[in-house]
This record gives sequence, C-alpha cells and structure tokens, in this order.
Amino acid sequence: MSMSHRVSDAALTKRLNALEGKAREAQKTIDDLKSRDALKTQFLSNISHDLRTPLAAIITHAEILRDGMLGELNQKQRDSVSGIVNGGQQLLDMIDEILSYVRSASDQVTLLPTEFSMADLVDQVKLLNQPLAAKKHITIERLNGDDLPLVFADRDKIKHVLANLIGNAIKFTNNGGRAWISFSRRGRDEEELLVEIGDTGRGIARAHYDLIFREFAQVDASPSRQHHGTGLGLAIARRFVELHNGRIWVESELKKGSRFFFTLPLNVPRA
Amino acid sequence: MPARILIVEDSPLVTDAFSILLRESGYDVDVAGTIAEAVEVAKARPADLMLLDISLPDGDGLDLLDQLREQNSLPRATLAMTGHGDSRTRQKCLDAGCAEVFLKPVGISELLRRIEHHLA
Repeated sequence: MSMSHRVSDAALTKRLNALEGKAREAQKTIDDLKSRDALKTQFLSNISHDLRTPLAAIITHAEILRDGMLGELNQKQRDSVSGIVNGGQQLLDMIDEILSYVRSASDQVTLLPTEFSMADLVDQVKLLNQPLAAKKHITIERLNGDDLPLVFADRDKIKHVLANLIGNAIKFTNNGGRAWISFSRRGRDEEELLVEIGDTGRGIARAHYDLIFREFAQVDASPSRQHHGTGLGLAIARRFVELHNGRIWVESELKKGSRFFFTLPLNVPRA
Repeated sequence: MPARILIVEDSPLVTDAFSILLRESGYDVDVAGTIAEAVEVAKARPADLMLLDISLPDGDGLDLLDQLREQNSLPRATLAMTGHGDSRTRQKCLDAGCAEVFLKPVGISELLRRIEHHLA
C-alpha cells in the first residue's frame, strides 16, 4: 500500500513538473506574441503618422493649383486637379481611421469624460455629413433629444462613433433615401441612454451582424467591391462604446435598411 | 510692406507647399525646420504671424513660444498645426498661447482667411 503510494507520488511529481514546464512555455509564447503585437501597433502608428505628412503636402499643392493661385486653369484641368484633392482627402481619412484604431487598440487608451449634450453633438456630426448627404439627396433627421440630460463621457470618442454610424448610413443608402437619429432611455431608473442611427439603405444580412464589428472585416471583401475602406470603422466604434461600458449592435433587413444602436450609462459619477 | 510669416515645420514637403501658397498670396515668408532655427530666424527678422508645427525634431513646438516671448520676438499670432485632432492637444496649444489650432492638412482657403483675420 505504502509502496504504491510512493510510486504514485513520484508519478504525480513528474507529471506536475511536466505541466509546469508546459505552462512556462505557454507563458513565454504569450509574452512573445504580446511584444510582437506591441511592435506591430507601434509600426502601424508610426507609418500612419509618416504617411500623413507627404499626403498633406500633395493635397496643399493640388489645392494651390485648383484655386488658380499659380494661374487660371481651364475646366478640364481644374476637374483633374480636383480629383487629386478629393482622392488625397479620401486616402487621408483612411489613414486617420488606422491611426484611431491603433490608438484605441493600445493599452494606454484613456477616457477624458466631460459633460455635454448628445443632441448638440449629433447636430454637429450631421452638419459635417450634410454635403455628402445633399449630393445623394438623402435627408438626415434628428427625431428627438432636446430634453435629454447631459451625458458624462469622452466627447471626442462619442463623436467618432456618431460620425462613423452616420457616415455609414449615408454611404450605404441609395440616392433619395433617409437617415435618422433618435434617443430613448432604458432601464428601471432610465439609467441608460439608447441611441439609434437608422437608414433606408441596402441592409445587412443576419449572418453578418457580428462580422461587421470585427477588425478588418468587410461584408464584401472582394477586390471588385463597391465600397472601399479600412474595415476598421465599426471595430473602433465598438471599442469606444465598450470603453464607456455601453453596448453596440445592429438590427437590419436586406434592401430595407439598418438600425444601429448603442447605449451609454447615464448614472456615471462625475469626477 | 507685406506682413511677414514664419513657418516652423520640419518637413520640407510641407514648408514648400506653404511657402508657395503664402508668397503667391503676397506675404513675406521665412522658414525654420527646428526650434533652434526658429529662435535665430525670429531674432533676426521678427514675424507678424507664425505657423507652427507642434512636433519638431528638437522638441515640443509649444516650448518655442516661451523662448520667443523671452527674447521679445513673439509674433502677434501663432497658428498651431497638428496631426492629432484630439481635444487634449487642442487645449494644450491654446493654453500655451496659440490663437488657433489646425489639423493637418489645413485647407488653403480656410488658412488664408484665418491668417488675414489675425493680421487685420
């Protein structure tokens, strides 16, 4: 009896040592992957920042030409140079999105909460999107929200979320469609603000509801896809909402439209 | 006498573009690529207005404001240019004494309008 105990003790010790060895190896792999991930993040951050500078110069030079500061251009020349400005601007927006993603992905991301009116912020973002909406004859409407309490959150980050959702609503809605923003309060003590951004656009299949919030994911990732982008916008939006202890999701019907929702707690203690 | 503008920016690509823009608009333009260079240029030829990139190879561009103040060559207005649009950076620039903060790239018509406003 005592003999078999000794044998089994020895076997257990051996097994324990083997497991500890494996755990050490696994930890080493985790540390290694973490440091590689940090390197990749740093690389993305540096390269995005460095791409901005020459691009800024290209856009400025093209604007100088377009605005006739070095001599009047004819219509065809002006159209062509406007193409450089617009293309550069689009590229710049994509670089900025990558930068936002990199910053949101780093561990040091912190919230700088202040008190502000959501309705005012929505109106600001609406105004920024007005030129594109007007071009597509899409109406953007804020349906309510004048009587909401002030929220205590990181204004820049919530603005980013709204800009992404409202921008998408316009991007994926055909000419003459509608987009809207509305608010409601949820919870037993109405302690949660629910923000809805809806559109009458092309819609999203149920199978893609989760996919669209993942990094680098696009419903149509083929080279011939109609809409190009980094595939980071909604992943950043999700991260920013979750940093505020909120949730974000979509409800949609193909060819009818989409309704994106996100929540923000209203009972946040003021610092 | 045209108003004099000092551009402090380390990328020659960007200073070239702004120099063309501002000279074509009738301003007298000086360029510096570092804080140290800007201190020297401003001492020799004080500017009426400064376009300042806040990240420079030899330090935080905002420190330049203190140095220029000390040697009495601070321009009437400083317009900061930054690659970061966050409100913390914006506030830091305003606290340091910048009149305005622009996110790069700055649209040229907006920039010219604001420069004219500050020199009026």
